[in-house]
Amino acid sequence: MFRSTPRASGYYRTGYGQDLALIQTRTERISLAILVTLAIALPFIAGPFLLDLACQVFLASIGALSLMLLTGYAGQISLGHAGLIAAGAFTTGILAREIAAPFWITLPASALTGILLGLIFGLPSLRLRGLYLAVSTLALHFIVIYLGGEYETKRGFSTGILIDPPSLAGFKLTDGRAWYFVLLLAAAASLMICINLLRSSSGRAWRAVHARETVAEALGINVAGYKLLVFVISSSMTSVAGCLFAYYRGFVSIEAFDLFLSIQYVAMIIIGGMGSLLGALLGAAFVTLFPYLIESLLALLPNIQKFAGDIFAVNYTAFGVVMILFLVFEPLGLVGIWRRLQNYFLLWPFKYRPLTGARK
Amino acid sequence: MFKRTLLGALSACGMTLALALPAAAQDAYVVGLTGALTGPPSSTYAPAVDALRIYIDRVNGAGGVNGHKIKLILEDDSAQPSKAAANTKKLITQDKAILVVNASLSSTYAPIMQETKNAGVPLLFASGVCPKSVYPPADPLQFCTTGYAANYDSQAALDFIKATAKGDIKIGFSAMAIPLSRGEIDHAESLAKTMGMTPVDKEVIPPPTADYTPFATKLKNAAPNWVYSWAPWVTQVRTLEALRKLGWTGDMIAWAHLESEAELARLKDENFYVIGANALFQDGLPIHKDIEAAAKAAGSKYPATMMTEGWIGGMAIEAALKSAGWPADAAKVRTALENLKLDTKGLRGGVIEWNKTNHFRTRVDYRVYKWSGGKITRVQDWKTYTVK
Amino acid sequence: MQLFINIIVLASIYALIACGYVLIYRVSRVLNLAHGELMMLGAYLVLATASLFAGHPLVALGAAVLLSIVVGAMVYVFLMRKMTGEMVLAAILTTVALGILIRGVIVLVWSAQQQYPAQALNLANPSLTLVGDGHISLWSAVLVATNILVYGALFGFLRFGRWGMRMRAAGQNPLLAAQRGINLHTVYALAWGLSTLTGALAGILMALDSGVTGSMPIIALKAFPAALVGGLDSLAGGLVGALIIATAEVLLIYYVDPLLSDVVPFLVLLAMLIVRPWGLFGTREELDRV
Repeated sequence: MFRSTPRASGYYRTGYGQDLALIQTRTERISLAILVTLAIALPFIAGPFLLDLACQVFLASIGALSLMLLTGYAGQISLGHAGLIAAGAFTTGILAREIAAPFWITLPASALTGILLGLIFGLPSLRLRGLYLAVSTLALHFIVIYLGGEYETKRGFSTGILIDPPSLAGFKLTDGRAWYFVLLLAAAASLMICINLLRSSSGRAWRAVHARETVAEALGINVAGYKLLVFVISSSMTSVAGCLFAYYRGFVSIEAFDLFLSIQYVAMIIIGGMGSLLGALLGAAFVTLFPYLIESLLALLPNIQKFAGDIFAVNYTAFGVVMILFLVFEPLGLVGIWRRLQNYFLLWPFKYRPLTGARK
Repeated sequence: MFKRTLLGALSACGMTLALALPAAAQDAYVVGLTGALTGPPSSTYAPAVDALRIYIDRVNGAGGVNGHKIKLILEDDSAQPSKAAANTKKLITQDKAILVVNASLSSTYAPIMQETKNAGVPLLFASGVCPKSVYPPADPLQFCTTGYAANYDSQAALDFIKATAKGDIKIGFSAMAIPLSRGEIDHAESLAKTMGMTPVDKEVIPPPTADYTPFATKLKNAAPNWVYSWAPWVTQVRTLEALRKLGWTGDMIAWAHLESEAELARLKDENFYVIGANALFQDGLPIHKDIEAAAKAAGSKYPATMMTEGWIGGMAIEAALKSAGWPADAAKVRTALENLKLDTKGLRGGVIEWNKTNHFRTRVDYRVYKWSGGKITRVQDWKTYTVK
Repeated sequence: MQLFINIIVLASIYALIACGYVLIYRVSRVLNLAHGELMMLGAYLVLATASLFAGHPLVALGAAVLLSIVVGAMVYVFLMRKMTGEMVLAAILTTVALGILIRGVIVLVWSAQQQYPAQALNLANPSLTLVGDGHISLWSAVLVATNILVYGALFGFLRFGRWGMRMRAAGQNPLLAAQRGINLHTVYALAWGLSTLTGALAGILMALDSGVTGSMPIIALKAFPAALVGGLDSLAGGLVGALIIATAEVLLIYYVDPLLSDVVPFLVLLAMLIVRPWGLFGTREELDRV
């Protein structure tokens, strides 16, 4: 699904149509069917807390996918991701609060804010690269947060803006299960958008820009245009995620969008594995779930009550340690583990892949 | 290579296992707490949570409430709203908490209120500032035991200034650049005008500030003879220190946060007043000795003087569960809280009393302390304000 | 006059922190986002040494400073060394993870409450009156002096010192430097040690002036624009950048709105990035790829 090389033996494409198909082999069809069934069945077997976690993962996935598009494929580093999520959330919050706008107005409005901000965030990229670009997006993040804080204070929403759940034709979206499906759909839609963008000429152009700008330009690619395009697309997706976040949690406040959130998103794409959409999804799940995982694992230790005062500091520390371990020992990210697993079964009973056609 | 694969597989297995573990059977009162236990603002909240935990442990050690133990589940939100929302959801849905306690920064209030409202579980603010929604007419689900609260505090502080000062009052303000503190200082400014004082300057200082002197310079040059600050302790005390450094000799009054007792002794400033709703340990009440002993026995990292807020929160929880009976559910606890009448044994000026429309308290009492003659002395005994 | 002193003090704080960023970036092109935490660790180490060498404040301070060099070098040897050759972004993220780790450890060891190293060392912090009715606290004055000393020493070291020259060489072209027989790992470890030393000095002096809590690393983040405005790989740039940012901040607080002080460094930075991305004194860099 994520690569164009054939993966099963004895499978050859005989027409362009087959080449374009998203699902190519029977195994893929079956595994996709299983995945979809599992995804649909989950809310009926899992408890509400697990559902909440799943929803968080979906929300994070949208953000991680859009950042992966920007950083992993087009090579533009951004540390302003939290600012974009905040922009979407605040657009929603302000519209819902000031003119009681329903979600079918706030959602496109958030996307529009994202597009505008994408243009602004993207402008420095025409001149700056690498670290400097990251820092300029960081600066923009602080400006968005400053504006949001001013709005909150001036309007007297000192503890954040509360938002009513979205409703359509009398049906209010409050139920955890309903939210699960909405967010699942949103995440799936984002994934499809990303896959298709990357398969098209824009995706190829981004990769070329990433690899070497001068060469890309020599190939006739409008570098500036494609850079702005990726910023615009990624920002609008992120803003929509912000809008969904605002509705899902029912509140907006600047404190929810600090620099640490941006760093978490960067961590998602790096821990997941750069340059892979699957990596973005895995990374989003890992970074979101990991703190809860440590917490519940530590809770299993005997005599834990004695250290109740310290346990959270231990949690926090453990998060840092595991992140370091991952970065040091698994530079390819989670997707690297996944591919090794895949190769292990594909090649079994052999151990090593032949050199010809070896992937990087 | 195989090791790495194993590492990945193991972590995946561990994750599913840990997340799928079911909640334990319910034979105790389950109380959930989300608080800022790590992260920058934790210096104010972690001691309070520790006190609350020690108090509940003590109750359990003495046999619990109505013959059942209280199971206090702590969650850390690092003062991050999203984490607080997830914690609350977990506490309510997985742990089946019948009462949620918040001990965190005001930034976490919105999501927690939203989650508890959806689930119909009562919410108690202990050690975080009281939100306006517990004032009459109160939100049916929200209660607050915390000492400090918007509007009343400034009223009391300004009244004290008016009563103490001689001659014209030129007052300066200092706030931290968080919405809550800014809002209250804005309120105090307009209040000061109606009371015949002259507000000369207002400094709103961002939380991460390397040096307070630039702000203090501006404040000092406006030449106030009084300064009032209502903000987290750092902002209050560093404003004072910077002003003193610049040679300002006026009087300052600030809120008596948990840190104040140790800090008054450190600063030894005879023109610095703290106003608060809690009796400081200097008063040496029997309950103070009690807290000191308990903190020592539990081996807490925090000094006993920082435990008052958490202790009162614990008392309120114990009293509410006692009157809710066994078995208790969220609705019963809510009703019990609504009819609560808590004797704080002198930690506060009066009883904490809640009713249908008032979940704050019917009266607030303020004491004022300062450093004088080598020890902390009380400048003004309980002054009562009725909450309407 | 007071405004002038305020600018100098703030600029010294920023400059002292900024030179830590510069040292590491110049040598290894890694942006150390754990600098704030390392700085805070220095301040907390004073608390530890204060109880160890009770009654000898200078010994305690010296021990803490020495310890911080060791910590910095250890960070390189045990952690950052493994990240050489990885993506720049991954290396940066590793420093972020290190920061999280340090913060957790600090809460674990010293608890979350506000601490006063000056109290632990029994040191006072009197206010000094200067000409023109300017005031400065003792430890702020020491900080300014330390800053001048540190920059002087670093300039001398990098210009004339044998290891300083090696550091510059390694920063300019690691491959050539290695082929000339320079042990890159030692040079990098030295850079990390020195950087942590300057950071710890800033942290310790700030903590002596006004105490330390978990929010100290955020200050380092505000000093970061100073390093960038001056040029991330230029020591002189750090000094000038800090001066520019501090001037803008202090004047805006005084004449416009104190609330702006939070965004000002980043506004200046943004303006700088648009006009001259590599900073005032920085060198133009080759394409940076992710």
